[in-house]
Amino acid sequence: MAPRPSAPAPRLEHHSLERYEAIWFGIATLMAVLLFVAAIASFISGTYTAIEGTGGGHHITGVESGRLDPRNLAATPFAEPGLRENPDGTLEAFVVARAFAFQPATLRVPAGRPVTIHLTSADVMHGYQVTGTNINATAIPGQVTSFTTTFRRPGTLSLVCNEYCGTGHHNMVNTIVVEAPGTQNQTE
Amino acid sequence: MGDVAYLASLKKVTQFYIVTAFLALFIGVLIGPLQALNYGGINVYEWPVIRNLLGSYYQGLSLHGVLNALVFTQFFISGWMLYLPVRDLGMRINLRFAWFTYALMTLGLLLAAVPLLTNGATLLYTFYPPMQGDALFYIGAALMVGSSLLVVGQVVHTWLRWKRANPGKVTPLVAFMSVATWMMWALAALGIVVEVVALLIPWSLGLVGGVDPLVSKTLFWWTGHAIVYFWVLPAYISWYAFLPRQAGGRLASEPLTRLVFVMFLLSSVPVGLHHQYADPNIPNLWKNIHMFLTFLIAVPSLLTAFSVGAALEDAARARGGRGLFGWVAQLPWGNAVFSAQVLAMVSFIAGGAGGVVNASSSFSGVVHNTTWIPGHFHITVGTATTLTFMGVSLWLIPHLTGKRLPSLRLASWSVWTWFFGMMVFALGMHWQGLYGVPRRSQVSAAAVDAFGNLPLALPTLLTAVSGVILLVSAVLYFSVLFRMLLSPRVDDGEQAAPLPYSEAISPAGESLATASPLVRATEPLLALWAAALVLVVLMYGPVMARLFAEMQLVPGWRLY
Ligand code: HEM
Ligand SMILES: [Cu+2]
Ligand SMILES: [Cu+2]
Repeated sequence: MAPRPSAPAPRLEHHSLERYEAIWFGIATLMAVLLFVAAIASFISGTYTAIEGTGGGHHITGVESGRLDPRNLAATPFAEPGLRENPDGTLEAFVVARAFAFQPATLRVPAGRPVTIHLTSADVMHGYQVTGTNINATAIPGQVTSFTTTFRRPGTLSLVCNEYCGTGHHNMVNTIVVEAPGTQNQTE
Repeated sequence: MGDVAYLASLKKVTQFYIVTAFLALFIGVLIGPLQALNYGGINVYEWPVIRNLLGSYYQGLSLHGVLNALVFTQFFISGWMLYLPVRDLGMRINLRFAWFTYALMTLGLLLAAVPLLTNGATLLYTFYPPMQGDALFYIGAALMVGSSLLVVGQVVHTWLRWKRANPGKVTPLVAFMSVATWMMWALAALGIVVEVVALLIPWSLGLVGGVDPLVSKTLFWWTGHAIVYFWVLPAYISWYAFLPRQAGGRLASEPLTRLVFVMFLLSSVPVGLHHQYADPNIPNLWKNIHMFLTFLIAVPSLLTAFSVGAALEDAARARGGRGLFGWVAQLPWGNAVFSAQVLAMVSFIAGGAGGVVNASSSFSGVVHNTTWIPGHFHITVGTATTLTFMGVSLWLIPHLTGKRLPSLRLASWSVWTWFFGMMVFALGMHWQGLYGVPRRSQVSAAAVDAFGNLPLALPTLLTAVSGVILLVSAVLYFSVLFRMLLSPRVDDGEQAAPLPYSEAISPAGESLATASPLVRATEPLLALWAAALVLVVLMYGPVMARLFAEMQLVPGWRLY
């Protein structure tokens, strides 16, 4: 494929190529670093619910270093899944995922108050995704996943299992009801 | 063995790898459109034909993932990156060993296929425990993946022999890229090999009472992220070394190309925790460190975009192209070998950008395990890699066998429809994912419609349509491929379809003594390999040590 003699186009040569390379290398590295800075800023300011270390600051009976025995949930608060209010006014919710439903099937939480959700699985892995939010956590048998979040607006949200867990996986859908402040005490 | 017989046998073993790869892709890809229809709201899994062939949506999906992502890629790459460095170095290898490796890899595949086909391993290609499959699945998978390490051994050994015979010489580029990629893969594969051999096989045989799902998952993603570079670097080899020639131009810079591969060797592996932002009991500090390294590894891919872009511009100008962007029109778009690879690259610009976004912990919660993710990897491995390999097959098979491509026009149609279909697919799937539609879910058969009130009509339609386009594309491609393979041998492949090496604008030179500092710094691959190992140990060691120390074994389940 010889160049057309009538149209001598300038072709790239070694030196200008090297210069452009160096500039592009700089831009690429800068973009990577900026991206990291942005993600860390988001982590620190809490715009997403990062999974916290063992228990999310709460001690859980029967749970050691974030681990428990899935055959013996009875020894832990997961025996009675649901929301509870601690004497200091903090809220904790215990959720068990098992094929193919979450317990409780409907979790009721008050709007506008931080809730620490503790999640585990009784059998295989499951996912915990609340539609319309960025809450997305893995339920693992033998492990407790904890995170703290605040549901701002009252309403009903879908809780979807997003980790393959067997034949009924696509039917593993439950709900979270976010109640306007002041109404939640009547429902329990 | 004479030279002629030796070369014939080397080509034959390569051809066996490549053809096995495409047979796996053929079966795997036929299942894809059914899944696309599922996400188009159409459930075809109750149709008698399909019910007789696939036990369930999830069995089909396990086959699709394993055959496409694990079998097709590994077999193609094993053939491709055995043949290329051996030819590039001009060395003789022990062909008995090469055939033995191929046979072992195929045996592993066949063993794993039995439970996959009999619903004994409907675990999806990630096989997360404690969902449990037949022991045969894990044994077959270990043999198959383990065999790729024998290819690593043979290629690295061949390169070392060449080094000894050629002191002071610069390793030629294609061999350099292949050896660096194999070295990276050897480190990457450790995770999955340890997981399967040390944890899952004893567990599935009943020798131990349980398994720690988090330890297993972490080991899986040790391999599972780096494997994406194992899928894409062999395509880069073609984009750097062969595509410029096929476009009528020159490779941009050999030293820079070597730097890119060394960057991948060093930092492909210690990044896997970005798949585990949603998992408990892994400190956020380590998740963030892996995130940082993941962003850094975007740099060599951005350098690749630069180099390949420069090479294409060089080619277009040589063909009379002018203007800032007008030169694009001068490229040989009608040539399927060329257009497949360039469309693969275009797809990778979108896919790569999406990949960087996915790696951010701040965005992960929105898209983790939604259809956004399969949307993403069908324009990376499913197009950047697959379409490149499809394009490569159109010259490589004539080169290896002396057969001729039966129809350039049909080949061209298959390439363009694949690209177009995958773009539509990616749009539909990314879009649905933003609304939280979960991946790996037979949503078309769900009893509860969790998404009924969301505006999903258009993305759902796009996904369904893309499945049909891709089915047409696959039928076109495989009819060309099989007609070619079944046709008689007419040419001498060495003459009719020689290896398309490209000339370089900035070559690396032949002698290390006179080479640039960058070339000299990138030459000692063994030392760089050791450095990469140290980096992996530093970045994974503390996390793995804690996970092992706090193991919590749980029993297995079969819920499929
Ligand atoms: C005809 C072309 C194809 C179509 C229509 C297609 C369609 C799909 C769909 C809709 C899914 C999502 C299923 C789900 O999450 O439930 C999927 C998953 C997947 N596809 Fe494809 N695909 C095609 C080709 C490919 C190719 C060429 C590759 C790789 C080389 C590939 C690799 C995968 C993998 C690894 C998964 C994930 C499986 C899992 O989640 O376990 N696909 N495909
Ligand atoms: Cu599930
Ligand atoms: Cu990854």
